[in-house]
Parts: sequence; structure tokens; C-alpha cells
Amino acid sequence: MNIRRLVGLAAALAALVPMGALAAGPIKIGFPIPMSGPTAVYGIPVLKGAQLAVQEINAKGGVLGRKLEILPRDSKANADEAVRLSRELIIKDNVDFLVGTLTSAEAPAVSTVAKENKIVFIAPTSKSTILTDAQHINPYIFRVSSNTDVEGLAGAILMARWKNVKTVATIAPDYAYGRDSIAAFVKNLKKLRPDIKIVDEEWPKLGQPDFTPFITAQMSKKPDAIYCSLFAGDFVTFTKEAKPLGYFKAIDNRMIDGAEVGTTDEAKALGADYPFGIISDSYDPVIFTSNEPPEHKKFIEDLKAFTKEKYASGWSIVGYQSIFALVDGIKKAGTTDSTAVAKALPGMTFDTPVGKRTFSVNSHETFAPEYWGVMVKEAAYPFAVMKNPELLPKSFPAKNSTN
Amino acid sequence: MPASLVFSQMMSGLTTAMFLFLIASGLSLVFGVMRVINFAHGSFYMVGAYLAWQVVHWLHPIGPSFWLAALAAGLGVALLGGVIERLLLRHLYGVDELYQLLFTYALVLILGDAAKFVWGTDQLSVSAPPALAGGIQIFGTTQPLYSLFMIAIGPLIAVVGWLVLTRSGAGRLMRAAAHDREMLGALGANVGVLYTGMFVVSSFLAGLSGALVTPIQSIVPGMDVLIIVQAFIVVVIGGMGSFWGTFWGSVIYGEVLSFGILVFPSFSLFSVYALMAVILILRPWGLFGQPLR
Repeated sequence: MNIRRLVGLAAALAALVPMGALAAGPIKIGFPIPMSGPTAVYGIPVLKGAQLAVQEINAKGGVLGRKLEILPRDSKANADEAVRLSRELIIKDNVDFLVGTLTSAEAPAVSTVAKENKIVFIAPTSKSTILTDAQHINPYIFRVSSNTDVEGLAGAILMARWKNVKTVATIAPDYAYGRDSIAAFVKNLKKLRPDIKIVDEEWPKLGQPDFTPFITAQMSKKPDAIYCSLFAGDFVTFTKEAKPLGYFKAIDNRMIDGAEVGTTDEAKALGADYPFGIISDSYDPVIFTSNEPPEHKKFIEDLKAFTKEKYASGWSIVGYQSIFALVDGIKKAGTTDSTAVAKALPGMTFDTPVGKRTFSVNSHETFAPEYWGVMVKEAAYPFAVMKNPELLPKSFPAKNSTN
Repeated sequence: MPASLVFSQMMSGLTTAMFLFLIASGLSLVFGVMRVINFAHGSFYMVGAYLAWQVVHWLHPIGPSFWLAALAAGLGVALLGGVIERLLLRHLYGVDELYQLLFTYALVLILGDAAKFVWGTDQLSVSAPPALAGGIQIFGTTQPLYSLFMIAIGPLIAVVGWLVLTRSGAGRLMRAAAHDREMLGALGANVGVLYTGMFVVSSFLAGLSGALVTPIQSIVPGMDVLIIVQAFIVVVIGGMGSFWGTFWGSVIYGEVLSFGILVFPSFSLFSVYALMAVILILRPWGLFGQPLR
């Protein structure tokens, strides 16, 4: 064999190596998320955020030389459906990872599928503590969203600032999320302000068509302030019924809602009917009236261009963050092997448009703070916007966690 | 319990009740006369809400147009109901009731997806008409004008419905149809037209109620399924097919819910379902219904 042929062969072999890597195809991410039903309002923006992240990463050549591909499936916010779809995605479509689900019913169910199949699963929105508590944690489940303990602490911190409030009432949907968030709020408030009394708790069901009797019953207890965990369509209905009853006037707008009604999505839905003056939270206020982080500004511009919407959704950011967390994990592990990525993620810090997040080593979650602020009228927008968004809580001591 | 609290809970209960009656009345009419359990009634209600939003949205540059929108929603849904009855439902009268139930359930799925296709998944909202946006003080409580309007319109529809059923020629035919459809046809009455008319009226009520709730509720995909369950509870408590039964069923539902909250704040819906269970055990045909032959 002469030298020229040897060199030629070596060159051909060298050329084959990256070809082999390309032939492995894209890295597949199964994405079960509600795309129909009442919760599609949030599911679709979460998916769009994730798709934007994938587009950006692929434009820069992907990760480990491979492109990413999202396989979206409609979970209908139903735990059984989410489990079925996840199994199908793993077995039939050979996905490498799972990201998605919206509610605290779906996420814990999919977590068990992830564990059985040894596939990393990142939950962008589920807040219930049971997803990652000591009994339910497994090596493959990770959570980008906040949890009800963090939300309740932030709500209590804000409530405690109202020095002349002596009596507080609560209203929340009667299921896992509502019960957990009120329990966390009350626990933290008792520590911060032992002088405050909880005078009333109302538990309408999720999707209650009419809140009037709950509203009048609560008003009769004459609380100084209210902590609320109603969200989405429930909050819209509740507000439209409560406002004419003089509910917000009776408490002088001293309401704190910890269920993300500070998003543009909620503000847009209510328009001029929004209870201006209340405090609420959002993963992403979208519109910063001041002090907008530059990374965030770019993210929102890209998102608006991607979705072709005039105002972006406050929910897309969690989908976006989930994909970047996963990609950083893949880079750190140096492989797409799920078990290796599962080992790389705990303790890992990743960048997001609103600051760094770190997965806790023990409970695989970020204890993400959220933006909180008074919702006000601004001449430039036909809906409520958050005034001076403040990230709360400033820190979350892990010992405070029930996990 | 202070008197003002009793009064405000009573009014809250009545608001809930009349709002439910508006929806359940059409459901009850169709069942009473045509013996069709229209599962899609909630979907008609949802389409009414979306249509009202659409009209308000279109006419927004001109000015507030809530009442026009409510009328348009009622008429639009009445037309939809008429078309569905004539082209589709008509073929299922003679067959087993299970097929009608399946058919109306299919309508729920089709209309639900169609609404999502046309109006998207965002929550939509309509503001109250300016004249009814405020409230007045009664017995030291604030009563929203819109709630008072709902409380007034419920009995109005009940009385009109009752008068038509008992005092008019059409009403006589309807009652006859409920008794024996074939005999009525044999006597020369045009049962087909009667049924279409019945379904159109019921659809109109569904569309109108969908429009009338928009000032106090959000318009979201899924509102159809949430409401139909409550409407059925009301119809079952009152007695299937009894118009006044539906009225009083609504009032009982609203008041039991309203005062139940005060007694068991942690189990808000317990009292309503407990009541339904008790009524179904004691009178399976409902408070005002008659035992089925």
C-alpha cells in the first residue's frame, strides 16, 4: 500500500467520523403539554418558549454537533393522558428526554414514567411540593418552576409589610395547588407577623362558574387584606363578580394573588376590568416599566418575532429556561445519555434571561423566585402592568422547604 | 348571624340561581317536550358567549353594544340549533335514546374544537353595559346592578315560558307532544315544525344566557362542560321536564350553595351534592317531576 492511498484512506475515515455523529439524527425531546381545554391558555405559550429556545440553539449548530427536535403532544392537562403520551414518546419515538406537562396532576405522574425508563424529565410549571419531596424524588425528575413553599413565603413577606393589617382572609381553588399554597402562606405569615389573625378561608372548586356566594361570605368577615390563589379564567370570573360587590374597595385593594395573575396573559384578558392596585406575581412580567435586564429585553423581542404577537406571554420563559437547563446538562455530561445528564444536573447553575438558577442537589429544583409588584394602569398599555417588579423571596433557605 | 349577612348571602344565592336557571330552562324544555337529553346545551351557551364577545369586539369602534350583542348571540345560536335539528338530530327521534345522547355528546366535542379554532385558547372578557356597571346600597350591603338585573330576568323568563306553555295554542301542542308524539301527528299537527321550533327556542335561551353571563364571567374553552354538569343537577333536583321544577331547583341550588359555604367553608360544594343525593333517594323523579311511566 503506498503512502498516498494510506493518507487518502485516513482522510476518508476522518471525514466519516462527524458524518457518523450526524447520522445519529437530532436529539429528540418529548413535550407533553395541554394544547386544548381550559389550560391550553398556558400550555401553548410554554411550548412556544421551548420552541424558541430550540430554534436559537439549532441556529448556533445545536449541541454536541446535533440539532434539537421537540415532539409536542397534547396532554389535555390530564394525568393519564400525559402518562400514556410519555410512554409512547419513549417507546415509539425514542425520545432522549422529556420536558413539559403543565399541572401538578400531570407532572408527578410523568415523573414515575421518567424513573421507570431512566429518561430525564424537566417540569417547567408544576408548583406542587410533592413533585420533588423526599418520598417522590427520583434521579430523573427536575423542576425549573418555583414551588408552593417559595410562593407562600413571598406572599407572606409582602403581606407582613402592611403594618396596619391585623386580619387576613384567603381564597383558593380546592385542589392540591390551592391547598398547598395557602398552607405555605399561612405558615410563613404566622412566623413573620404572629399578630395577624386568619379570619376566613374560602375554597371554591377549580373552574367554579359563579363565585358570588364565596365573595359575599368572605366580605362578611371584614378582613383587612386578602391572600388569593385563584388564576386563569377563575380569576377573571372572580374579579368581574367581586368588583361590583365592592370587594376590592372594602379591602382598599390590599389583595395579594400568588398564582401568576401578574402576567400579561391575565392582564390582557381582564383589560379595563382588572382590579388595579392589587399585588401579584409572574415568572416574567414581560413589560418592565423600569430596570429591565438587557437579556430579558432581547428574549422578549425574539419571542414576539417568533410568535408574531403584539404582546408576549408571561409563561413562555419557563419553557425557554427548561430547554436551556437541559442543554447545559447535556454539555456538562458531554453525552445525550439520560443517566449521565441526570447526574450532571443536580447542583448545576444555568443562565436565564432573568438571572441564574441552580438545581438543588437534594430536591432537583431551583426554588425560583418570581417577580412581584403592584398591578397598575399605564397610559401606554390597554391592560394592567406590574409596577417596579421585585424578585421575591431574596433567598430561600432549603431548611424552610418541606422537601 | 347578622341580618345584613343573611341578606347578602340570599342575594348571592339568587344571582347564582337565576344565572343557572337561564341555562337550565332551555335544557329542561327540550327534555320535557322532546325527551332529548341535549348534552350540547352547554356548548350552545359557550358559542353564545363567544358570539357576544365577537359582536362587542366588532362594534367596539362605534361604542358599547352589549345588548345588541346579546340579541345577536341568541339569534345566532338559535339559527345554529335550528340547522342542527333539521339536518341531523331529526334522524334520531325514533331510535334508542342512547344514540341521541351520543350524538349530542359528539356535538360537544365538535363545537368545543370549532370554538377553539375560531377564537383561539385565550381567555376573553366582555365589560358590563355602562348602565349596569355600578351597584346600589341595600341593607348595608352593596348589590351590583347587573346581579339585580339577572335576578329580575330569571322570573320573567319563567313566567313567559309558563304562560306560553299553559295558555297558548303552541303551548297546548307542546304539552300534547310531550304526552304522545305519534297521536299528535295522527291528529294532523305538524310535529316536525313543532320540534324544530322547540329546539330553536331552547338554543336561543342557551345563546342568550351565554351572552348574558359574559359581563360577570370569563369566556374560556371548557366553559361548556363546566356549566352543563351544574345545569343537569338543577334539572334533576327540580324534576326532569318540569319547567317550574327547574326554576325552584335553581333557587334551591343557589341558596344551599350560598348558605352551605357559611356552615362548611372547607367543603363548599358538599351541601349541594348532599342535597341532590337526598332528593334522589326520596324522590328519584325530582321535586316537581312525575314518576316516569
